[in-house]
Amino acid sequence: MSTLLEKHIVELLEERNDKAISLLYEHYGDTLYGVAKKVVRDEELAQDVLQESFVKIWKKSDSYDASKAKLFTWLFRITRNTAIDKLRSVNTKTDREIQMDVSDVYNLGVDSIRPEFMDVRENLDKIESKYQIVLEALFFEGMTQQEASDELNIPLGTIKSRLKIGLRELKKIYGTSMLLALVLNLM
Amino acid sequence: MKEKIKIFLDSDLLEKYLLGTTNQQETLQVERYIVMYPVVRETYDELQDNLETFAKMHALKTPEGLKEKILARIKSEHLGRRKFFRYAIAASFAAVMFASASYFLWDQNQSLQQENTIVNNKIETLEQDMKQRLEDVRDQFIVLNSPQTRRFNVKGNNNAKDLKAVAYINPVKKLSFINVKNLPNLPNDQSFQMWADVNGKMINLGIIDRSAGKDKLLALPYADNAVSYITIEPKGGNSTPTVENIVAKINY
Repeated sequence: MSTLLEKHIVELLEERNDKAISLLYEHYGDTLYGVAKKVVRDEELAQDVLQESFVKIWKKSDSYDASKAKLFTWLFRITRNTAIDKLRSVNTKTDREIQMDVSDVYNLGVDSIRPEFMDVRENLDKIESKYQIVLEALFFEGMTQQEASDELNIPLGTIKSRLKIGLRELKKIYGTSMLLALVLNLM
Repeated sequence: MKEKIKIFLDSDLLEKYLLGTTNQQETLQVERYIVMYPVVRETYDELQDNLETFAKMHALKTPEGLKEKILARIKSEHLGRRKFFRYAIAASFAAVMFASASYFLWDQNQSLQQENTIVNNKIETLEQDMKQRLEDVRDQFIVLNSPQTRRFNVKGNNNAKDLKAVAYINPVKKLSFINVKNLPNLPNDQSFQMWADVNGKMINLGIIDRSAGKDKLLALPYADNAVSYITIEPKGGNSTPTVENIVAKINY
């Protein structure tokens, strides 16, 4: 995401111009929908979450502080928290545990194939699943490190180290994909 | 110092802050570290980038029509907000109107209350006045009607030959009146004044006003063997009678 576009969107938000929402949806909609889906594990619920999140983003736009977080981080926080709240309101914890076992296998649906994400998807598979599980549990499931440790039956220290290593692995992919994008752009 | 930063980075505070799950105290601590230590800032930025990448890996195509749904909802929220502001403006205007109307009415009420007090006082005075007059008229009626009333014709002496008056004295009711029928003309700087000598005390009964009418009865203080005088005094009246200017004397 170019910082220029980010700046433009933030300016539009400050002006309370609803074009900002349109731009946000175009550039972050799929990612945020993925986040919502990952947390609630239900397409309909994920749509509700995305809708509520965008309304919150619009209403709370004056609370965004660019010096404290990148635009995506702010959007992610809102979407993730909305999704977790949604999940809590519709599901009991036990329901969630059962579902988690089934859907932990990453499923590439037909409608979710997008060329621009293909290579990162492939790269994602390169991260060992033990890191992925930890990253997902922490980023999407709304678990604290302690909860993840209890839930996944992994010692807290291991959770911490897997998080760090997982993120480092991620950085490798991020670095190469960014470099690739840059090279492609230059060509 | 390095140790402190290491401990901080080893904790999951920064990760929690990234996801927005820190409490208020933790948030303040993390933000302080980010501002104070470039290493922490770098790590935080890296985490943000990682999060974005990680999230993008899970991107899913949004269903058709969802964007339109969301935009329609945002528009209605926006409109609602505008509507709210419109209502707010209308409400403030109404409030201002109400306040000024209230003040106006309060002010009106205040002045009406004052007026009311004045009117009430006037009525009271009038009432007393009427009572007094009624009493006077009643007394006059008693005096004029009573068979015990003696009637004296009073004539002026040489100084005021045209002076004619009738005095009514009722010793039973102890009431007395005088009716000055005719007064001779006096120079502009003089007037007739009435006096009564009651038990050796000279009482000023006031100036005889010609404009009050011929049939006006003037009450005289009653006492056994009292004497009334009419004198010519400088205009505006005198505080003691001028003996040489006595023009009439009424014994009763």
